[in-house]
Amino acid sequence: MATQYIIPIASGKGGVGKSTVSANLALALAKTGAAVGLMDADVYGPSIPTMLGITKPPEVDASNRIKPVEQHGLKVVSMGFFMKPGEAAIWRGPMLHKTVQQFLTGVAWGDLDYLIIDTPPGTGDVTLSLCQSIPLTGVVIVSTPQDIALNVAQRAIAMFKKLNAPILGIIENMSHYVCPRCGQREEIFGVGGARKTAERMAIPFLGEIPLSTPIRVASDEGKPIVLSQPESPGAKAFTAVASHLAAQAGLRAQQGAQVKVTF
Amino acid sequence: MSNTQAIPVEITRAGERDVKIRWQDGHESVYPARELRLKCPCAGCLDEVTGALRLIASSVPQDVHPLKIEQVGRYAVTIRWSDGHHTGIYAFDYLRKVCPCCSDKRQATSDK
Repeated sequence: MATQYIIPIASGKGGVGKSTVSANLALALAKTGAAVGLMDADVYGPSIPTMLGITKPPEVDASNRIKPVEQHGLKVVSMGFFMKPGEAAIWRGPMLHKTVQQFLTGVAWGDLDYLIIDTPPGTGDVTLSLCQSIPLTGVVIVSTPQDIALNVAQRAIAMFKKLNAPILGIIENMSHYVCPRCGQREEIFGVGGARKTAERMAIPFLGEIPLSTPIRVASDEGKPIVLSQPESPGAKAFTAVASHLAAQAGLRAQQGAQVKVTF
Repeated sequence: MSNTQAIPVEITRAGERDVKIRWQDGHESVYPARELRLKCPCAGCLDEVTGALRLIASSVPQDVHPLKIEQVGRYAVTIRWSDGHHTGIYAFDYLRKVCPCCSDKRQATSDK
């Protein structure tokens, strides 16, 4: 597998919209002409297949490697492909580690410009395995503007610092709500918290994504907003974040010299 | 948060058995093989909770040496030892902290 940038999308708290952000960012990057893979490593709640409207399981090639499902121009592998609907993954660490390994090395990704990885929330086994298995380009942190989400996000950032995985930036999701009828802006979770946290921690701020019904509906229907309504404010927000992310990834890749191990 | 993490440029051999690390700041550390084996930070060698040494030094052969050193992500290496041990993940920060010449210096300063 030759992949230029490997970027996990992580958070501290759950439910902040990592999967929606991952799917839309992957699609926005693919729109620029890049070859993009999307790995859904959220073993507990894989939601990428639903968001991208994938119903067929992946095939296995002659050398027994999983062939990613191609959908909307992305190469996709998800834990959801290997579980029946309604089934649960009740696994301890070693199984999770094995699955991560399998998704990284047992999948015929081909040559990619970006591999975007949707992770489970927090600082658990899957995220740790990712940091131990491959030299990541850098991690993107998704948070809502609430203090409670930002506090936990900071713990996740501390974990990545400890593992020497660079932070490419923070995205503020569910940043504000614009009423579709009257156009009034409602700051449900407060606003600007992620930007302030990023400034304080000297981490790039990648942008704000509004809380909007069309984003949610598009994801539920299997055609994320970047594809279905590219001119909407939501899609434009994702596109802007994706271009900041691409710039940060390029910067990091130049700085991150590999350690030479000859023993 | 400052970014003062210790990052090696090269990890290679020193003589037959010992390990040499050249760091980004130009410093060079040489780790005698057996000393590095005795500093294994894995949960079997070092108690996870108390930090007490569990490894019994006399059980480690005098001529123990690394067979293979592999990188772990961007932050550590793992060493496959000639005595069969292989579970230690040596973070770069940890390796820099236990650099023999640097810890000698620290010792000397605290003795004064």
